[in-house]
Amino acid sequence: MIKGGQNYVSSPPAFSNDGNRVLVCTGNTVSIFSSSTGLQVSSLEGHTAPVTSVVVVPATDILCYCWTSSFDGTVRYWDFSVPETVKKLDLGMPIFSMVIPSFLGSPEENNAKTANVFAYVSVHDGKAWQIRKCSLTNYRKVGKLVLKETERPEPLIISPSGKFLGIKHKRKLHIWKLPRVESDVAVAKKITLHHTKTITVLAFHPTERTVAAGDVTGRMLIWRGFGTQKFLDHSGSNNRISMNDGEDKHGVRQNDDAESCSVWHWHSAGVCLLSFSPDGAYLYSGGTEGVLVLWQLDSGKKKFLPRIGSPLLYFIESPDPSLSLISCADNQIHMLKTPSMEIIKSISGIKPPLSYQEICESFSGKAAFDCTSGLVAVQTENYGIQFYSLLANRGVYEVQVCERNHQPADEVTVAVTLVELSVDGSIMGTVEIKLPEEGVGGLVSLKFWDLDSDTKRFSVSTVIYEPHRDAHISAIAFHPTHRMAVSSSYGGDFKIWVCKEGDIQQKGQALQNSGWMCHAVGSYKNKAMRAATFSADGSVLAVAADTVITLWDPDKNVLMAVVGETPTPIVSLAFAGKSEYLLSVSHGLKPRLSVWSMSKLAMAWSYRLQIEAVSPAIDSSYFAILALLPESNERAFKGNGIILLFNATDPVPVASMSVTKAKGGGLAFLKGDLSERAVIDGKTSQTLLVYINGDREYVIFDPYDKEGHELSIIRQDVPLEETGQFGYSSIYGELPKFDLQKDKTASVISTASERPWETIFTGSTHMLPPLTKLCSVFLESLLEKRTALAE
Amino acid sequence: MAEPLHSSQPKTFPVKPKLKPKPRTQNQTPESKYWSSFKNTQIQNLISVPSLTFSPSSPHPFAAAHSATVSIYKPQNDPLDSPTTTITSFKDVVSSLSFRSDGRLLAAGDLSGLVQLRVISAGDDALVKVWDVAAGDSPVMELRGHRDYVRCGDSSPVNADTFITGSYDHTVKLWDVRVGDSKPAIEVNHGNPVEDVVFLPAGGMVATAGGNSVKFWDLISGGKLVCSMEGHNKTVTSLCVGRIGSGSDEELNQFRVLSVGLDGYMKVFDYSSMKVTHSMRFPAPLLSVAYSPDCKTRVIGTSNGIIYVGKRKIKEEEIEGRVSEKSLFWRIRPLEHTEKKVFRPSHFRYFQRGQGEKPSEGDYLIMRPKKEKLREHDKLLKNFRHGEALVSVLEGKNPGNVLAVMEELVSRKKLMVCVSNLDAEKLKLLLVFLRKYCTVPRYSGLLMGLARKVLEMRVDEIRGSEALRAHIRNLKRSIEEEIKIQQSLQEIQGIISPLLKIAGRR
Repeated sequence: MIKGGQNYVSSPPAFSNDGNRVLVCTGNTVSIFSSSTGLQVSSLEGHTAPVTSVVVVPATDILCYCWTSSFDGTVRYWDFSVPETVKKLDLGMPIFSMVIPSFLGSPEENNAKTANVFAYVSVHDGKAWQIRKCSLTNYRKVGKLVLKETERPEPLIISPSGKFLGIKHKRKLHIWKLPRVESDVAVAKKITLHHTKTITVLAFHPTERTVAAGDVTGRMLIWRGFGTQKFLDHSGSNNRISMNDGEDKHGVRQNDDAESCSVWHWHSAGVCLLSFSPDGAYLYSGGTEGVLVLWQLDSGKKKFLPRIGSPLLYFIESPDPSLSLISCADNQIHMLKTPSMEIIKSISGIKPPLSYQEICESFSGKAAFDCTSGLVAVQTENYGIQFYSLLANRGVYEVQVCERNHQPADEVTVAVTLVELSVDGSIMGTVEIKLPEEGVGGLVSLKFWDLDSDTKRFSVSTVIYEPHRDAHISAIAFHPTHRMAVSSSYGGDFKIWVCKEGDIQQKGQALQNSGWMCHAVGSYKNKAMRAATFSADGSVLAVAADTVITLWDPDKNVLMAVVGETPTPIVSLAFAGKSEYLLSVSHGLKPRLSVWSMSKLAMAWSYRLQIEAVSPAIDSSYFAILALLPESNERAFKGNGIILLFNATDPVPVASMSVTKAKGGGLAFLKGDLSERAVIDGKTSQTLLVYINGDREYVIFDPYDKEGHELSIIRQDVPLEETGQFGYSSIYGELPKFDLQKDKTASVISTASERPWETIFTGSTHMLPPLTKLCSVFLESLLEKRTALAE
Repeated sequence: MAEPLHSSQPKTFPVKPKLKPKPRTQNQTPESKYWSSFKNTQIQNLISVPSLTFSPSSPHPFAAAHSATVSIYKPQNDPLDSPTTTITSFKDVVSSLSFRSDGRLLAAGDLSGLVQLRVISAGDDALVKVWDVAAGDSPVMELRGHRDYVRCGDSSPVNADTFITGSYDHTVKLWDVRVGDSKPAIEVNHGNPVEDVVFLPAGGMVATAGGNSVKFWDLISGGKLVCSMEGHNKTVTSLCVGRIGSGSDEELNQFRVLSVGLDGYMKVFDYSSMKVTHSMRFPAPLLSVAYSPDCKTRVIGTSNGIIYVGKRKIKEEEIEGRVSEKSLFWRIRPLEHTEKKVFRPSHFRYFQRGQGEKPSEGDYLIMRPKKEKLREHDKLLKNFRHGEALVSVLEGKNPGNVLAVMEELVSRKKLMVCVSNLDAEKLKLLLVFLRKYCTVPRYSGLLMGLARKVLEMRVDEIRGSEALRAHIRNLKRSIEEEIKIQQSLQEIQGIISPLLKIAGRR
């Protein structure tokens, strides 16, 4: 089994101490990427539930240790250079967030503290999320002390100095000053800061007692000098006085313990990211609209990195001051060159499913598979198609379908609704729609793309505006061998498109003039057509006209036969490989999977199942279906979906697998010689099944193999390490080696005489002594020395 | 996970008009581009022009015969309306004209039988006579053989003693003056009355025009038919040899035969590949064609008295290039090393290099990133000034851009707001645009809906203003016209579709 498509942005990533590695929480594992190449190096496997936080132990560059926490209730200690688990602590409660304050702060303090490391964790005790403390060095049990209970899990934020811990909770900020010497019983002092809007994010200043928070309206609040009374005053005697000068606390809500509060507003939508630069002079902020803003803290001046294209989630500074990292909601992690604010590299995960599923009837979030090269094409929010390599588990490239600037916060008015690839993967068809405004200006356009044989990228070949007038397109299917495609519409007709290729003689001109043209139009009783498919040899075109299947000769455009009648409209059609069987799927109140025999033109067998996806094997008569289970059955099957493998001749399934998150999932058989890349215990498999779930996580496995052998990938692309220069040397290059001896001989003796101002202009100008040196001597000479007087 | 740099870089997309479908027919070939590069001007107010000829010597004036007059025009003159010389000493209609090879002498024949100005003449008496201009009155030779009107002839470009004549008796005869027995050297039968004959430049072939066809004959092989071009629908009246490429280099020149006919077409025939390479229509029956030896001018005479003078502009650099090439033989070549010297760090001026400094060979060039050029409406859209963007693009000329901006506004859900905020002046602009384009099929999908919305939203202003009401009336009229057209088209469809069905059944 190969797993992939994990979410890279579920929780904040972390840099290793030398800045060369990025540790990213990816589901149950922690993936380690190289920050110079952006490729995965290794992964930490062992957790049985999603990893929620990763904390790298600060040390010298060579040591690579980290702590991770997970929903499975364990905290693990890893040596991630090897990689292996060093220690495992079982807290017994799902952990949402973990911070370790004693790793931070000044190093001399650290040394004293490392003897006993305490972590603050946000755990779920069955009723609510609690913030508790636990010792990591000599662990026995989670501390009894509950700092705070919340209904929803809140990430814990630790100040860079390690002295303060904060969470946001609805419209409040809770900040604790952590005890200087940690023990199981030491109690932290707490203050609360109030705001009128729901707070989304907070960040601590690295040195001062300043905290910044962002809210859902895009405002940023900066409280300076929080906790002056409670955290600093031990006696509490000043309380009265400070209450009196409440009017001096500019902008602070009454009774809040802060010196001042200022509000900055630039973001138009909610703030998702706040981070102070390590020197505390700048503040990074980012929000839903996908713009990273760099604020100068004193002046409020702004610098922007616009059009990242997706809501920003986390901003992490690396130990290398020139490199930092932003996580975006579209599952991309961008490496940022900090001073110039430019993206130099991206770790690109599979883009998440579109959030707007229901904008129109023709919308389908289904991914398209290129079976031969193992690519999957998925729609992205920014009107593009991402090509993701299933075997390498990384994004290959993206094409922009609709040339528009994407504003993540805006209402959706334009969408790519369909994407389809031909069997050999050389042609792509996409459908995009523009929604009308008050009935004016809606547009459906169909685009055909050709694969460039050199660059292996798609480029647009033909654009067809309103291919079925104003009706939406329900399906596109490609002819298995010819350059022919069919598009069916809800408007009750289908069109066959052919790509005209010029004669070989006129190659030069033909290339410009080749394009897709309408070859034929067909309709059946003006019924809405929701699915279309070609048979394996391309001789028959099956189009679903509402509840019946119509069979056509695609070349002559002649209706050959009409098959069957299902109770509800057919939404999907597929020929079962090279066999004579045709599969139809209908949704609605009476969902049904029907298998039709083409020789008898009658139904062979059918199931009453809610089918999400169908995929026929290319060479055999097998096919796989993904069925959604009724909710009552979910417990029995450990998941809400089931994959069934059938032989078309036989209604008894050959194999079955239960899966989770089946809604919106997809299935495909991969074809071709994958033996170079995938080996199953020495034996190569020709046919592999891919299941991609609703969250676009996928798994590749051999459906015929009952035991579910592990597929091990021999990675072709061994990530190359660049021994890049780091920090100062990366900007200015290596410093020349100093030769101390030489330095000494060259040094100038500046105080030659006792009264240097008399001889000052006799030497060459570059030998002039520095003014500071001169000054004291000059003043001394003016003053009479007391000692001399005494004598 | 390594992604190429450019894909992650932020980009802006300017709004673009929708693509237009490419024409199904092939693009213009370079040759037809050449032939259509002649810009036509007309010389009017003449009576039908049966003959046109160019002087072989520069600056290639041309003579046109019309009624009893011969006018000589200089194509360089602009405008061409007035002839430089007019000869009116003819008593009858002038039917044929020819310049001597040095261009100083012009021969003209009129229907009264006079040849005014060594000339070959052939006439309606079926006789071909050879005249010596200097000797005067009596012909040097009389060649008999034709049995009908002889209406055309041409002398060989390679041999001064041979010529051909074509006659209405369907025959074309090659004569040699040195053979005195008045028998043609070669005789071919065209099959139709021969209207025009012309020697092809190599002198070994002739083209004859008669009936609806132009035929090519190989004289060296004794009069074999090489090919026949049947492109015209009516009688071909005149032929001439045209040339592509104006260079003095003979190999680059390609010769074509230009034929004109009574069907109003001028066709260009490539006799090496046997193809009609260009065809052009004129609004009148054509009688004569001539092509200047310098390839700059093509004149066509029509039966209704208009001469179409097609002039081609030769690009300046083409001429200059030729001049400089020629002069290269005589002039000393300019120094090759014109590029600036690249300074080395040892030179003090190395440190004073400015921005205009040229890179030296080994330098690694970092280009300034190209600035994306945004148009006015794109800039406004970028700043979310939607109404101004709409107005700015409406003031422009390109309807495609207007539609693109409107579509962009629709997808931002701002079009209706923009329309409702337009003031009266701008509303007028919008209404003018709607009237002009809302029936254009490519735009009507959006504009019809928009027009309705505009009327709904701005009904009060429109009622209040006379100018706006006038625009609405115009809009209504154009829509009514369109509806009428649609109805008649549907009627036609109704007539045709049963026929098609019947045809399909067979």
